[in-house]
Amino acid sequence: MTTKFTARGITAILLPLAGLTGLAGAVQAEEWAPTRSIEFIAPANPGGGWDTLVRTTSRVIQSEGLADQNFAAINVPGGGGAVAWAQIANDSGNPHKLFATSPPIILVPLAGTSRYDHTHFTPIARLITDYSIVLVQADSDYQDLNDLFEAMRERPSMSVGGGSAPGSMDHISIAGVASAAGLEASGVNYIAFSGGGEAMTNLMGGHVEAVITGAGEAAGQLGPESDIRALGVSSPERLGGPLAEIATYQEQGIDYTFDIWRGVMGTPDMPAEAVAYYEDLFARMLETDDWQEARDQLGWIDAYQSSEEFGDFLDAQKEEFSGVLTELGLIR
Amino acid sequence: MEALNNLMYGFGIALQPMNIAYVFGGVFAGTIIGMLPGLGPISALALMIPITFAMEPSSGLILMAGVYYGAIFGGSSSSILLNAPGVAGTVATSFDGYPMAKQGMAGKALAIAAYASFVGGTISIVFLMMVAPMLSRVAVAFGPAEYFALMVLGLTAVVSLSDKSLVKGLIAAVVGIMISIIGIDLQTGTVRFAFGTTHLLDGIDFLVVALGVFALAEVFYMLLRGGGGKEPERNAIGSLRLSRREVKEIAGPIGRSSVLGFFTGVLPGAGATIGSFLGYSMEKRIAKDGDTFGKGNIKGVAAPEAANNAACTGSFVPLLTLGVPGSGTTAVLLGALLVMGISPGPAMLVDRPDVFWGVIASMYIGNIMLLVLNLPLIPYIAKILEMPRPLLLSLILIFCMIGVYGMSFSVIDLLFLLGFGLMGLGMRLFGFPAAPLILALILGSIMEESMRRALQISGGDWMVFVDKPISMWLLIIAALSLLLPLVKKVMQRARS
Repeated sequence: MTTKFTARGITAILLPLAGLTGLAGAVQAEEWAPTRSIEFIAPANPGGGWDTLVRTTSRVIQSEGLADQNFAAINVPGGGGAVAWAQIANDSGNPHKLFATSPPIILVPLAGTSRYDHTHFTPIARLITDYSIVLVQADSDYQDLNDLFEAMRERPSMSVGGGSAPGSMDHISIAGVASAAGLEASGVNYIAFSGGGEAMTNLMGGHVEAVITGAGEAAGQLGPESDIRALGVSSPERLGGPLAEIATYQEQGIDYTFDIWRGVMGTPDMPAEAVAYYEDLFARMLETDDWQEARDQLGWIDAYQSSEEFGDFLDAQKEEFSGVLTELGLIR
Repeated sequence: MEALNNLMYGFGIALQPMNIAYVFGGVFAGTIIGMLPGLGPISALALMIPITFAMEPSSGLILMAGVYYGAIFGGSSSSILLNAPGVAGTVATSFDGYPMAKQGMAGKALAIAAYASFVGGTISIVFLMMVAPMLSRVAVAFGPAEYFALMVLGLTAVVSLSDKSLVKGLIAAVVGIMISIIGIDLQTGTVRFAFGTTHLLDGIDFLVVALGVFALAEVFYMLLRGGGGKEPERNAIGSLRLSRREVKEIAGPIGRSSVLGFFTGVLPGAGATIGSFLGYSMEKRIAKDGDTFGKGNIKGVAAPEAANNAACTGSFVPLLTLGVPGSGTTAVLLGALLVMGISPGPAMLVDRPDVFWGVIASMYIGNIMLLVLNLPLIPYIAKILEMPRPLLLSLILIFCMIGVYGMSFSVIDLLFLLGFGLMGLGMRLFGFPAAPLILALILGSIMEESMRRALQISGGDWMVFVDKPISMWLLIIAALSLLLPLVKKVMQRARS
């Protein structure tokens, strides 16, 4: 609680300053514009969340004519992002290189497999967020989250599948909510699958008893005819569309929320005028019809933060994640 | 009857002039992509997402599906001609396809690959159409324990893939498993055998190893034997025609491998590569002339080619009926469909029958196009073999390097390619077979992950592997396939 309070306090003090620099940035942004095509890196293989973000934003920027220069989507897979980060970290000050980012930029370094974390790069903007969703089989006995955690308390071996490795997003999310519900975070028998889809098929086949994954990914699977059913979402308020009927954790008396945010970062020490240019570019992109259509289809929710806000947010996330990871005994 | 009506409806969509053009464009692009080692369907499809965005969803999927199965269709060419697999699913094709090419039967090998691909593709579309909704049950019935058992069964093929010495085959398989566990362990997040570099965190890509131990090792081997080796004969392509006896010979393997390949494809995570290996090793065991597999047996080309195309079609079952991608390629397809506003899943058959039946009908058309497109091209593609040897060797080298670099844009992977090339040469000189290494590399990581997942769910109880009926039967079949040849041998000895 204390850390959150101070963070907010600092933001309050900095806000007027941020306004000033923002103004200055806007003036300078007139002066700076990219002079060649921008390398927009997805630190993963085609098909995943980062890749979709990079390709969707590049396409919208191009089709809406928001930038004079081309945004070239580039995949640099490896080490859950670590390979791309190592490359980008060595390209200090380059204003023509951006990359898509999300919680792994904090989690992977905490797990000790990347030398570089969010502090090495320049935050540009947070764009969107998704939330976690807890699923069980349609004919399961559990009607809400409290039933599930009650059962877990009695039978700790109960398996909960997720779409990512131990210590990564899905694991932190379920461990966090379990801990908020009064269980031991490390008491969850978390089974790592190589993707949310694989975790959900294992739930449909009855191989695991519950699954935690991204709400956007699960949305297409839910419905009256479906084999699976949702017990709760990690958002602060109810989600829209097909997910509107699913209660939040907080509605069920568990005070916990979890964001699967995605945003854009740039090379270390990117010039301020370039940061201002991109900040503004992405803010304008979020307003376009093209973007809003694609965003809704992909089940994303706008969650824009400017460079400054995003940087503070990342620091706060790191605090929170290291807390849960320490509880899980996964901090090395 | 209902399926037939639906299919007619699907043809109504697939036969629209624009959609015919998309099928043709898709399979044509796919064939080319498949022929080039390294450049696989995944990256090609990712590049196409922006193009398909503005298209009608059924047309978009028709185009992208065409690229996918077109690539698997075309991938056999470089396996057969250069010993360099074009896509992961055609590694097994090179086991007999390349020896055939060396014996002056390249034309025949390519023709068999094309016919087998066509039949495998077509049989599996019929399956996809008739039983897809039911099959989604099969796909979810496979949990960690069942996958483990399936991988064990797959690994028993090491015995049939090690030609002369079983011990050397087993050693190669163990090395393959060791390579497969390099990188971050999914169950614990522990980094294994990465020697502190970020480049090994995701392990070594299977195609780097395959191109190294097959294609590059072949180049080294030819160099080592010296330029004094005889020039390739003129007209080394040979005839494309199959005799009636040959057609009869490959009909069985193609039929069986098509069915096996399709069901392997239905299982999420198994896919074309495993399907082709299972098809190959099954036929090798069944065949009376099994000992000539690996030396240019036509059945050894027919079986994996039928299986990999059937598996490719099979992988559409979990995608279209469950909305769950079973492989990297179908994951990209799923992403593209979501962007077009389609969420595949149980409801899609009802909500968007045009997409489901349109793409199925287009697959029939696409397979015919592939056959018509590929057969006349064979003599031209096979001309590659008539090149002077120094040119040919440099060409293989360039293909391998572009392929590997194109996958990861990493120079370090090129060094790995070189390393595996040298390893492959060493294995060849000392009589270690390369196929078990590749098989173990493919199956090893899935086997290990599934085993540990199953044990974590069961709380460490090993009985989980025999408590589940599917897993138990797969393990029994695996045990039998190892024991029966032994029993046979003992019986023979006892009799004599």
